[in-house]
Amino acid sequence: MASRPRSYKAQKVIDRLGQKLNRQVVGSLAACVHCGMCTESCHYVLANPDDPTFAPAYKADRLRKLFKRHYDWTGRVLPWWVNAQSVYTDEELQELKDIVFGKCTNCRRCSVNCPMGVDFATFNRMARGLLVHVGIMPEGVAAVSKDQWEIGNQMGVLKEDYLETVEWMSDEVVDEMGDDKAAIPMDKKDVNIVYTINPREIKYDPRTIANAAKIFYAAGESWTMPSEGWDMTNFGLFSGDDDLGGAVARRVYDKVHDLNGKILVMSECGHGYRSTRCEGPNWAGYDIDFEMESSVVTMLRYIKEGRIRVDKSKNPGAFTYHDSCNFARSCGMFEEPRELLNLVTNDFREMYPNRAENYCCTGGGGAMSMAEYTPQRLKSAKVKADQLRATGAKYVVTSCHNCEDGLNDLIKHYKLDMEVTQLVNLVAEALIVDKKEAVAEVAAKAAPAAELAGYTILVVDDEPDMREFLTTVLEDNGATVLTAADGDLGLEMARTHKPDLMTLDLSMPGTDGAKVYETMRKEHDLKGIKVCVVTGKPELRKLIYDRDIQRPEGYLDKPIAEDSLLLNLRKILEVGSEKS
Amino acid sequence: MSESLLFAETTLQEVALAIMTVVYISRLIWWFRFKAGKERQPETGAPSTTKAKGIVYSWANILMPWAMESTRRRLFNYLQFVLFHVGVVAAIGLSFVIPYLPGLLEAAWLVTALQAAIGAAFVVGIYRILRRIARPVMRMISSPDDYFSLVLLTTWFAFAFLAVPNQWQQGETLLLVYFWITAFFLIYVPFSKISHYLYYPFTRYWFGKSMGYRGVYPIVHSHK
Repeated sequence: MASRPRSYKAQKVIDRLGQKLNRQVVGSLAACVHCGMCTESCHYVLANPDDPTFAPAYKADRLRKLFKRHYDWTGRVLPWWVNAQSVYTDEELQELKDIVFGKCTNCRRCSVNCPMGVDFATFNRMARGLLVHVGIMPEGVAAVSKDQWEIGNQMGVLKEDYLETVEWMSDEVVDEMGDDKAAIPMDKKDVNIVYTINPREIKYDPRTIANAAKIFYAAGESWTMPSEGWDMTNFGLFSGDDDLGGAVARRVYDKVHDLNGKILVMSECGHGYRSTRCEGPNWAGYDIDFEMESSVVTMLRYIKEGRIRVDKSKNPGAFTYHDSCNFARSCGMFEEPRELLNLVTNDFREMYPNRAENYCCTGGGGAMSMAEYTPQRLKSAKVKADQLRATGAKYVVTSCHNCEDGLNDLIKHYKLDMEVTQLVNLVAEALIVDKKEAVAEVAAKAAPAAELAGYTILVVDDEPDMREFLTTVLEDNGATVLTAADGDLGLEMARTHKPDLMTLDLSMPGTDGAKVYETMRKEHDLKGIKVCVVTGKPELRKLIYDRDIQRPEGYLDKPIAEDSLLLNLRKILEVGSEKS
Repeated sequence: MSESLLFAETTLQEVALAIMTVVYISRLIWWFRFKAGKERQPETGAPSTTKAKGIVYSWANILMPWAMESTRRRLFNYLQFVLFHVGVVAAIGLSFVIPYLPGLLEAAWLVTALQAAIGAAFVVGIYRILRRIARPVMRMISSPDDYFSLVLLTTWFAFAFLAVPNQWQQGETLLLVYFWITAFFLIYVPFSKISHYLYYPFTRYWFGKSMGYRGVYPIVHSHK
């Protein structure tokens, strides 16, 4: 009988599997006894109890059957007996893609619940890598990986945007502290700490940079931010691409060497911490000769050593803590964040289960960049939503930007009355500064708010409440505000008034936000208008982000906090625009 | 005792064990020809968590049903696991006791204890077969080998249970069937999922080493 033809990509995947197998992975692939004990440890299973295809063992078998068919003698001799099976077509690879990217966040919860010590998450990541090797991956993964390869960070932030944003935050800290010495150092050599961040901080949440700077300043730290190699996140962890992982990690390590830094400190990011601190040296084949730590550890040390003082009464309210899978379950960071949280807040409420048994935020493993799986992801988030709700807390703290986005999404989806924040914000808020600085801070806070004076902003949103909220906040801060209740009117007003910025809702009757945005970017006269997407439906992001057009300058989720709105719009207006 | 029973109890078992050993050794050689992953990263986690502690904890995990949520919340499954594996040890032990230490079976308490262990394992085996057939998720992940291994073991338990008194004078058929199944079992094991115990020390060693190094093992429990 003639053998079944195999596609080029399928053959490459099989060959690559052979190259990637190591002793540990082979053990995990060979040792599963299909006992089913892992099943209920997975949040996808808990949200989809009637769909057995979400079971970790089933998902793992999609790769296991390939391994058995080609690399394990039992499967080679009697394939049907052990369910060994090869792949032949690109369609089969696409199906595998939907499983390894769309039905697993690599959270490793099943791994710690397997009696045999089978590390499902590790070989799920490997399966992703095999597919990425032949170009089969969700579009979002391809886009982010490309940005990290080419531009050096996973959000495609250009160097000038990065430098301008840091400088802007630096000015803010100097103003607030009333001291030029509070400025953020850039590329300063022979420092104690080289501070690296997540590009999300530059794009959407630069306050965390300013807050970290305040803490370093208050501690009298010798530190710097690097102009290159500043992104400690690493999409190689999510895509399974060890080459990307190694290149990104090496970029960061090399910069620490260039600057002759003693400690590489990473801001609060779970996958960034794991990639840089734990996996990066393996991927890059790099023996590290400097210390690496999370900013959580740094902040905790400052307080314990008396280098900074904090007043926990400045953070009123009930707080709970979400353990990031990468930070906690894969790197053992359990107690440090809790200790710090207890030092800067009065009412900490544990979430159950927690630490190594915590449930994923459901946005991990790069899931936030895979818009096509958003409905599935949000459905699986029910278990996390129930966990959050049960704490009765108003704030959920997490040391991970990815979790912050994932949690924000599910909080909106499940209508929880909660806010997400990070420890750096709480420590900065609780910081006790000396009298002179305090006066400066009060003076800064008391300054008249006219931050958007001189700018014209067009609000395009079909919800009257949202238009009113945005109009009020923006006008109170000096902006001239125009409003449109649908996409067509928005385009017309943009053509007529040429505003400096448009806030754009995505889900609107008639011409929706995605179409409006595409028109804006194609029409010569409208190209220069900056756009901030404001949406309550994160699953619609793909309408814009999956298109081959320049991305919008900003993105905000509804509901929006007033300070976040102002900060982000100021950043868009004052700090230049994103790359094409 | 007939020649055929004597052969089944001794020579046949020795040949089966030799085959099993050869296959196991070749299996280990095959496995260890894959390169070992190397961890270059600095140690993380509190000083109370080390590689060594992680390895010991990982190995001991199976004796601590409270250690993993999957066993802690499903104690019935854990109990099944214990009974099933105690039964395996008893049935294997029986294949050595009968030919080499038959005098031990003159002790009525030992016969009762072995029958209790093997009988319980048989009941669990029946339950496991039904569970694997009845639960959609178990069906989805099961291969013919999974079913066959389970049926084989359960059948073996049944004959082992009946063979425990070692009353060959009253008929050798039960004993012959038990020893022939044992021999088949020994030869089949390295090719089947039953060989998981060969992997277990290694997979748990590596997982425990990594998790200990990274400060995750021993796990701090989170239950209220």
